[in-house]
Amino acid sequence: MQSARQILFGFVTASLALSMAASAQSAGQRVVRKAPTAADWEAIAKLPDFTGVWEAGGGGGARGAAPAAGAARGGTPGGTPAGAGGRAGGARAGGRGGAGRGGPSLTPEYAAKAKATPPSTAEESLTANCLPPGLPGIMTQPYPYEFLLTPGQVTIISEAYTEVRHIYTDGRPLPEDPDPNFYGTSVGHWDGNTLVVDTVGFAQVPRGLNFPYSDKLKITERFQLTGPDTMSVETTVTDPLALTMPYSMGTRNLQRHRNWTIAEYICEENNRNGVDENGKARINLSNPQASPK
Amino acid sequence: MTKGISMTLKKSGVKLILMATLAAGAAGVAVAHHSYSAFDVTTEKVLNGAIKKFDWSNPHTWAWIDVPNEQGGVDTWGVEGMSPNYLARRGWSRTTLKPGDKLSITIRPMKDGSKGGMWVTAKRPNGEILLMGGTITDP
Repeated sequence: MQSARQILFGFVTASLALSMAASAQSAGQRVVRKAPTAADWEAIAKLPDFTGVWEAGGGGGARGAAPAAGAARGGTPGGTPAGAGGRAGGARAGGRGGAGRGGPSLTPEYAAKAKATPPSTAEESLTANCLPPGLPGIMTQPYPYEFLLTPGQVTIISEAYTEVRHIYTDGRPLPEDPDPNFYGTSVGHWDGNTLVVDTVGFAQVPRGLNFPYSDKLKITERFQLTGPDTMSVETTVTDPLALTMPYSMGTRNLQRHRNWTIAEYICEENNRNGVDENGKARINLSNPQASPK
Repeated sequence: MTKGISMTLKKSGVKLILMATLAAGAAGVAVAHHSYSAFDVTTEKVLNGAIKKFDWSNPHTWAWIDVPNEQGGVDTWGVEGMSPNYLARRGWSRTTLKPGDKLSITIRPMKDGSKGGMWVTAKRPNGEILLMGGTITDP
């Protein structure tokens, strides 16, 4: 006959074993990175040169048209490239993206979701209050990006919102059960001279997609040099629950500016143009002498 | 964004943005982090006055300009402009506008009539035009 103490001990032991197994599983998703060798650094030099600062605006692809258009219009802030993301999450009203390249083809369930989502009454999304847009919105900004290549990793710094993407190229697999977040978890590999980046693990935050998506959303980006200082980025979205077929977001063309550096962009610094709790745009014109700088 | 676009469709440059947006299939591409909805983008108003302060700040610059009013006093107007990173690559700096600079600024005014607006263009007494777009100063 077991004493209560023995039963408790057994229970604790079993719990401990279970929790150790669970933590072993999550530890299995962590990758311990070895120190880079000289050969690892030499291998970097053989990769296509993505280094430097790139921008789509002012001569880039179609999606970078805003700054150029702003210039053509006499430079009103109407084309203000102040860090888009735009309506992002607020723009899911009914799969309006059905234009252009065919738009996302939604499954019946997600088409119904899109239809059921009432058009947002918010005049602007939370990005107006300086919340950065998630992927892919962060990659459609009219501000530049800096690419850093180091052994096992490509890092993309977005000037807009001062955000960072970490793309692991050390051969690790995509995580099976990632924490959902803004930029997901990105794993990349080189397909010849093309950097192919797969990203999973997306939270429901403003991310520039205008259709409802599930936690199975996956974004694939193909980065490749198209000239000495030009790069194309092709973005495809898949979602087995929301989409009946892969959805191509098209290609964005970036131009390298060898003499540029990434500027500071702290959106909260002097944001006088946000939205209130009802999503209504507001402008704060009070006390100009108190504004910074 | 969408709202701003629909109001200014007559501008060919904006059409271009709209087309690009639709092509991308994603709303809010290459848009401001913020709204145009507080501004009346169908109207322009000219402010003649002297710069009080220029905020070289993110996510937008703000030019504060003292404008004489009909009561014999002075009103301070706030004018939102492009961000420093954008402007710096197009010939602007934090000292482009200095306190006391006489300026005639064309704005798209606030819808609610408060003393603010969005920078369209400006002119100095010597005729110099201050656009917030323009060519990238890059070799």
